[in-house]
Amino acid sequence: MSAASQSPRISASGLRMAALLLFIVIYTAYSAGPFVWVASMSLRTTTEIAANPYALPWPWHFDKFASAWLDSNYDTYFFNSVSIVLSAVALLTIIGGMAAHCFARYRFRFKGVVYFLIFSTIIFPPQVTVIGLFQIMVDYGLYNSRIGLVLVYVSIQLPVTIYILEAFFARIPKDLFEAARIDGYSEWAIFWKISLPVALPAISTTVILNTILLWNEFLYAVVLITEDDKRTLPLGVLRFLGDQLEDVGMIATGLMIAIVPVVLIYVFFSERLIQGMTAGAVK
Amino acid sequence: MAIVKLDKVGKSYGNGAVMAVQDVNIIIEDGEFMVLLGPSGCGKSTTLRMIAGLESITEGELSIDGERMNAVPAKNRDIAMVFQSYALYPHMTVRDNLGFGLKRRQADKALVKKRVDEVAASIGLTEYLDRKPHALSGGQRQRVALGRAIVRDPKVFLFDEPLSNLDAALRVSTRAELVRLHQELQATMIYVTHDQVEAMTMGDRVCIMSHGKVAQIGKPMDVYLNPASTFVASFLGNPPMNLMPATASETGIETGTGRIAGTGFAPGTKVTLGLRPEDLRPTDNAAEAVVSGRVVSLESLGAETLVHVEAGNDKPVILRGGRETPARLDDTIHLTCDPDMARFFDPETGLAIPTNTFTGDKK
Repeated sequence: MSAASQSPRISASGLRMAALLLFIVIYTAYSAGPFVWVASMSLRTTTEIAANPYALPWPWHFDKFASAWLDSNYDTYFFNSVSIVLSAVALLTIIGGMAAHCFARYRFRFKGVVYFLIFSTIIFPPQVTVIGLFQIMVDYGLYNSRIGLVLVYVSIQLPVTIYILEAFFARIPKDLFEAARIDGYSEWAIFWKISLPVALPAISTTVILNTILLWNEFLYAVVLITEDDKRTLPLGVLRFLGDQLEDVGMIATGLMIAIVPVVLIYVFFSERLIQGMTAGAVK
Repeated sequence: MAIVKLDKVGKSYGNGAVMAVQDVNIIIEDGEFMVLLGPSGCGKSTTLRMIAGLESITEGELSIDGERMNAVPAKNRDIAMVFQSYALYPHMTVRDNLGFGLKRRQADKALVKKRVDEVAASIGLTEYLDRKPHALSGGQRQRVALGRAIVRDPKVFLFDEPLSNLDAALRVSTRAELVRLHQELQATMIYVTHDQVEAMTMGDRVCIMSHGKVAQIGKPMDVYLNPASTFVASFLGNPPMNLMPATASETGIETGTGRIAGTGFAPGTKVTLGLRPEDLRPTDNAAEAVVSGRVVSLESLGAETLVHVEAGNDKPVILRGGRETPARLDDTIHLTCDPDMARFFDPETGLAIPTNTFTGDKK
């Protein structure tokens, strides 16, 4: 046996694996880094952060969360966010589901035009529509109203919701609907008893996606809501932004209160989200 | 149980631009098992769907037990349908699938449960009642689809190629199961298939369709033995009836390589001669041959051998021989038959010429 063959050698697949791991480590640091930094700052005071922005938190100021929740109105912001997002997501699921069911199942006049009109709205950036929307909300008495914000959220997320659900509904075999018709059910009953339950993976996807997006929504909320007791969580950070002084520590604490529910949703439901998005992609 | 009557029923698409089904006249008697048979695109499924109420009827009239059904929605026709894909509700258990239609009509949950249990027991599904369709085999799913139809005790059962997704062995056993079910329920059943074996073995009568029209209706053996047209002759039977051009002479029908002795046609009359492969037999006597030619192919199927004979026509003439056949490749072979089994068709229209037109000489 030669000396060369006895020396340890790294195989090509081992090198590829090492390169992949290195890439994953760098990418994880890149994406998780800001989150970890904010999480770290949320447990430190603004004075500690000013002294050393990147130091580890010690001691841990958990009392900042209680202070934000109780003294800085975060409990109100949180329940505003919950009520607005849940209402919007519920409406989106029902209206989007019905619309998608119709687009996928029925042939009707001007179907293409209606489809185009709904989807044409997504090509405009929100910055373009927000001024006009502001005026409309004022005219209809919906400015500074939680109901107004719910309606706006429903309208901005409806096209994508319909798009995802319609693609799924279209793949449900029409025999199922016909069997239900012969079993004696009306179109309305078929929607509730067949379409929605069968499309549960896609429904879950839209619910999770809309919840995450609307929970984090800032632009429409900041323009349409100015009263403090109607603010949502993303607007809560404004409370710590003064003209002269920024309470960076409390901003980080507020951000963590806003972010944690989204992270939890993603951690527990990401698999279902991916399933819904890719359902049917591979037979 | 019910009588289903289709009177000049038609279906067109695009404001009459495409006629999928036209002028269909069928009366399906009470308790009859009627098979709609035909190749893909012949309109058999469309006809069934019109009976079900899943397609609108653009012409004619459909009635069930004398009541006009054209405008009656599917849910009010009191029919049950078994789909090719089974159409089981994937989010429901077998029990819920079976009871889904019944719940709509019967509010009493205890009665629904009792009926579902009865039907599940009768078709061997009791142990699968709490499973969902994805946890069942193809045959079990098929039985659930069947049970869903039975449980409602409808006036008419409709089947849209329900066996086509099953493997060959399961298809044979399910075929027998369906025949047993029909005998037990004595219900009116309409069954769509493109499989002639299913049609021949299951149907009280067969309705053969072609290009949206009814080509022939009759008992399976009647249709097989006396096809109404060259289409039916060539569609039914595997291999199908041999069709070849022939000309009448003073003494019989001349095929070019042989003749059938007899009288009936005016000399010089052109006909299409039809002979079933199993009605032909080899003979050593060239003088009595109906067809003579060279053996170009031999297909041994185990129980029988198909002998392909090149006799100067577009297609070879096929003889269905026994397991052992004396024919060898490239041999010249003479084939004869009982003149009574010969069928004649008009070469222009393809329609059958009455069998009593020709009287063959008995040998």
